Amino acid sequence: MALSFRQANILIIDDFQGMRTMLREFVKSMGVTAVDTASTGKDANQQLSTNKYDIVICDYNLGPGANGQQVLEEAKLKGHIGVSTVWVMVTAEKTQEMVMGAAEVKPDDYLLKPINQMLLENRLEKLITRKQCLAPIEAAVKALNYAEAIAQCDVQLKAKTINPQEILRVKSELLLATGNYSAAAALFESILNMREVAWALTGMGKICFHDKKYQEAKDIFQRVLRDNAVYMEASDWLAKTCSMLDQSAEAEKVLQEAVRISPNSPTRQKMLGDAAFRNGALDVAQAAFEKTIKMGEFSPHKAPSAYTSLAKVFADKQQPIEALKTLALSKREFKYNTEAAIQTAAAEGAVYHQMGQADKAEAAMAEAEQLIAKASGKVSAEVAIDVARSFFKLGQKDKACGLLQEVVKNNHENAEISKNIEALFEDHGLAAEGQALIAESRDAVVAINNQGVTLAKGGDLLGGANLLRSAAHKLPHSEVILINLCGLLIGMLSKEGKSHQIAGEARELLERVRHLNAANKNYHVYTAALNRIMGGR
Amino acid sequence: MAQDDISFSDLIASSIHDMKNSLNLQVSALEKIAMQSRDKGDSATFDDLGRVIYQANRMNLNLIELLSLYKLGKSIYPVDINEHSVAELIEEAVLQNQTMMDFKGIRVSIDCAPDLFWYLDRELVKGVLVNALNNAYLYTHDMIHIEARHHDKLLQLRVEDNGRGYPERLLHQGDASSDKPVNFESGSTGLGFYFSDQVAKLHKNGALRGALSIENGGSLGGGCLVLHLP
Repeated sequence: MALSFRQANILIIDDFQGMRTMLREFVKSMGVTAVDTASTGKDANQQLSTNKYDIVICDYNLGPGANGQQVLEEAKLKGHIGVSTVWVMVTAEKTQEMVMGAAEVKPDDYLLKPINQMLLENRLEKLITRKQCLAPIEAAVKALNYAEAIAQCDVQLKAKTINPQEILRVKSELLLATGNYSAAAALFESILNMREVAWALTGMGKICFHDKKYQEAKDIFQRVLRDNAVYMEASDWLAKTCSMLDQSAEAEKVLQEAVRISPNSPTRQKMLGDAAFRNGALDVAQAAFEKTIKMGEFSPHKAPSAYTSLAKVFADKQQPIEALKTLALSKREFKYNTEAAIQTAAAEGAVYHQMGQADKAEAAMAEAEQLIAKASGKVSAEVAIDVARSFFKLGQKDKACGLLQEVVKNNHENAEISKNIEALFEDHGLAAEGQALIAESRDAVVAINNQGVTLAKGGDLLGGANLLRSAAHKLPHSEVILINLCGLLIGMLSKEGKSHQIAGEARELLERVRHLNAANKNYHVYTAALNRIMGGR
Repeated sequence: MAQDDISFSDLIASSIHDMKNSLNLQVSALEKIAMQSRDKGDSATFDDLGRVIYQANRMNLNLIELLSLYKLGKSIYPVDINEHSVAELIEEAVLQNQTMMDFKGIRVSIDCAPDLFWYLDRELVKGVLVNALNNAYLYTHDMIHIEARHHDKLLQLRVEDNGRGYPERLLHQGDASSDKPVNFESGSTGLGFYFSDQVAKLHKNGALRGALSIENGGSLGGGCLVLHLP
């Protein structure tokens, strides 16, 4: 399995002919025979889709079009490169991407120019070794087997082949992802006892945020940023924390500073736009959303909400024609995306209403409703809240409340979603009503859930399960209901013996929970228990 | 206002990107020609090219230092202090200058434990090392020694040579243990020192702060540049 240079397939991506030739000569001198080159992101993606490469050497700056990071993201997203591909990003200077903890897809390493052959060969050798150590962890993560991934981290920590700190950081992320906050906290503390390391301190902040200790979390993120002004992950979390503390002006300020430091992230521009829109800073919001759209152009992460958000800004600025133009653009960009169509239709409804065109407004909202029905409940909270907002604008409060009740019931433990719904009611001068709706919807779910659990505890497992089954039918997105039903089914399996039908039902529930929140702590516990009982895997 | 700053720094960055590409190609081509002249026994051309390559490397170094200092001053440098293998860092700094050293027949030795990890910004500290190697290249007779030690809560990185050492006057002015900046007017390598001093001070741990110092002596009896990192 050991990969050596000689057999490696290498792709070199650089827009500069001279650099391509030089890099090609370097790797050829190392004894590599299979070398391809590409001069643009488009060209590179084409080659990545047809050939399998062991090593990709990619210049970050590729001239007009996609940059190296975007080429990497697309290749990862489309599965053109696997966990075993070594991706080296070549840059002239240290870039934000190199330190921002927030980027989802990262190259294996960055190489700063100038490059010579010895340097390149030395680095590639080390990367191949490192890749081989990390491969079992990455493979487990990709298979969503987080328990195995954590076990593999421990193996590497013992072997000490690669930087232990790097493994600890990966392990801490896995612990957070599996909801094992106490172990994650212990890990962060052991690092922080030696020194104030940004990622470990940020991790502590995330734990406080999860525990709803927002003030404490805010202090921590601010402390990280005092010493590391460019640690964008902390800054993103600080903005999020400020919003939870109802300090939206401060959230906007934090994001302003963040985009000053790192102006090329569409997601961050979107966050700034949202915060500014919330604060009524329409010019700031417009600029931020326009940038989000422009930057997202070559990114596989481009999202329709940037368009609908921009349209809302235009509407608030009394420029309905501009708003409709933006929405038309969104329709063209996201032709086959149901959620996008719902969001766009709802936004159109609000704009037409504002223009006094009641017929068109009604028609757009009817389309949104129809699409929601067709999606049979599989609509994200964000989209549902957007539709509710339009219903409010059209004066159809009942429809709005109906939608929002469902959102709360499906996400009754999600503080951020509740916060957004509260804000929506506040915007329409209905703060008290909003709070009541959230509380009632939440209580309804809690009551059903408790009733089911009580029945089960009293010995009536089937009664409890049936109660939760009907609840799960009505609330297909409720993580709590789904996971508790799964728990009851596992209880039945261990008490009443193996049943493939029940095990199948439990597995399906687990799959749905994982989809909603891979960090659900019980997801991992129940998966293990189910495997144990059924004697599989 | 802020927007203007960003685009100006983008402009500088992309120009430097471009210049570095050219330099990289230039050095690479010169190295190739140098090898050919050596194989043909043309030692005069070989030596001349060695000097040209040294100057090109210096230019490249200055570009990086200027850009880094500009960004540090504007608080937009992505400082990233993490645990890194010190041995690997030294190895890379040496590899980056290997051909240059070969031209002048300078032997570079390294003394660093393979399991020594330290908290530092990899690119910045490598910049300090490359700069120190460039200086030592100019002043050494034929040997350079790099040593890394964990000493009293500090990482000590020493770059020593067997040249004549620093002039007395510079040793006193360059007492980096005080908070006074080095007087750079006296030396031709002001930028390199200033950059290294800034990088040292950027590294903090609790109350401890990094420092840069110069001394004469060391294991080779010449000049020593010492970087202390907390």
